[in-house]
Amino acid sequence: MQIKEMSKDEIRKLENLLKKNYGARIKFKDKIFKTSEEKIWLISKEALEFDFSKVRVNSAGLYFGKLKRNEKIQLSVEGAQLVGKKARKNIAIIDEENLKKFLQGFDFSAQKLIDCDINNFILIKYGEDFVGTGILRENYIENILPKARRIFLEVKKV
Amino acid sequence: MKVEFPKPFKEKYERLLGEEYKKLEACLFIKPKKAIRVNTIKISRNKLLKKLKERGIKLKQIPWYKDGFFVESERGIAKTLEYFLGYYYIQEASSMIPPLILDPKEGEKVLDLCAAPGSKTTQIAMLMKNSGLIVANDDNLERIKALRINLQKMGVKNCIVTYEKGENFWKHEIKFDKILVDAPCSGSGKIISSFSSINLWSQVNVKKLSILQKKLIFSASKCLKENGILVYSTCSMDPEENEEVIDFCVKNLGLSVEKIGMKKLNYHEGILEWNGKKFDESVRNAMRIFPFDNFTEGFFICKLRK
Repeated sequence: MQIKEMSKDEIRKLENLLKKNYGARIKFKDKIFKTSEEKIWLISKEALEFDFSKVRVNSAGLYFGKLKRNEKIQLSVEGAQLVGKKARKNIAIIDEENLKKFLQGFDFSAQKLIDCDINNFILIKYGEDFVGTGILRENYIENILPKARRIFLEVKKV
Repeated sequence: MKVEFPKPFKEKYERLLGEEYKKLEACLFIKPKKAIRVNTIKISRNKLLKKLKERGIKLKQIPWYKDGFFVESERGIAKTLEYFLGYYYIQEASSMIPPLILDPKEGEKVLDLCAAPGSKTTQIAMLMKNSGLIVANDDNLERIKALRINLQKMGVKNCIVTYEKGENFWKHEIKFDKILVDAPCSGSGKIISSFSSINLWSQVNVKKLSILQKKLIFSASKCLKENGILVYSTCSMDPEENEEVIDFCVKNLGLSVEKIGMKKLNYHEGILEWNGKKFDESVRNAMRIFPFDNFTEGFFICKLRK
């Protein structure tokens, strides 16, 4: 497994990217590395110090997201949860019916959009929880939830 | 329909349990409660309890673990938004015990030798507050896939997943403060939740597994720092997979057994003799949990120090 630790300068650029796209002022405390030019992972300091050449490493750290062209970033569900806490823009608020569609992998729509750019990645919020990301199109939100994470929601609030 | 244990299993466990055998047989008619563990990496206990209460899910505190809860209601605990978000992990109540006995601290270096699918690894990460290092190893790529999904979903940042034969891991000369060996086993402790596990049980398989388990504990002992802690666990009740492995470890690998206990948990001590083999006195300090002790799956747990 090839990993490349991000320099302070690269981390600053990432923080600026999150501010630009989501209005989120984030100061990373974790170490960050890339496994390609685009894929970004968060990892503890001690884990990054591990000698990766000694054993067959399958994966490491927490997948945060993928850098895209035109200064955009596609966050993982966990990335969205971390960034969402401090986000101010590119947020779509959805209701239960659309949450179900989102969790099953269908395209869906928002009840409210907060300062959203068309064709950009947006954070999806249901109640107080950030549940993932999607791409805002003209009349709908494109679902990009990975297949492995999709579920059929059963338990409603009483 | 008459439900009973296969004859070889029955004969073995009558011998092992004596008077208490009837209690084990009674477990065939009991369905264990599902349990969940709050993932404090992502949410506080109180906040999750409030959310699940709003969904009509009834929970009951597991007496021996503050972050563990039995699920009282029949509603789909695997189909909630909170489950999707990784706010809790569905985990058998007795399987939450080995990480608690390991007691990993922030900043430590921990090896989980047989980690997939990751219920204990994610609990260890949580106990370490997502700091330090966990090397989560497994030798099965399909199971590693599930491990990776669970680590991601639980928000674990301090883990490296490795793909090595556990019995050969020591050859890499990496040292750890603490090691969990939750060894592959016959699963005889699972009778309460899965009767089919007993149809797969055989004494031949138990003996084969006992050999593998000794190789695994040998490998783990080599990876342990001086004064380091090794926790050995299985979901088997067979002495060959448990006390016999610990006895081998004490007599051949120089590790010593430490006494363990847990408030509000019912358990038995390790046995000192089986099939004419006498085990080291210290093996008594191991924890043997039968399904009838707490109406959970059976488990064996032992804490060793180098």
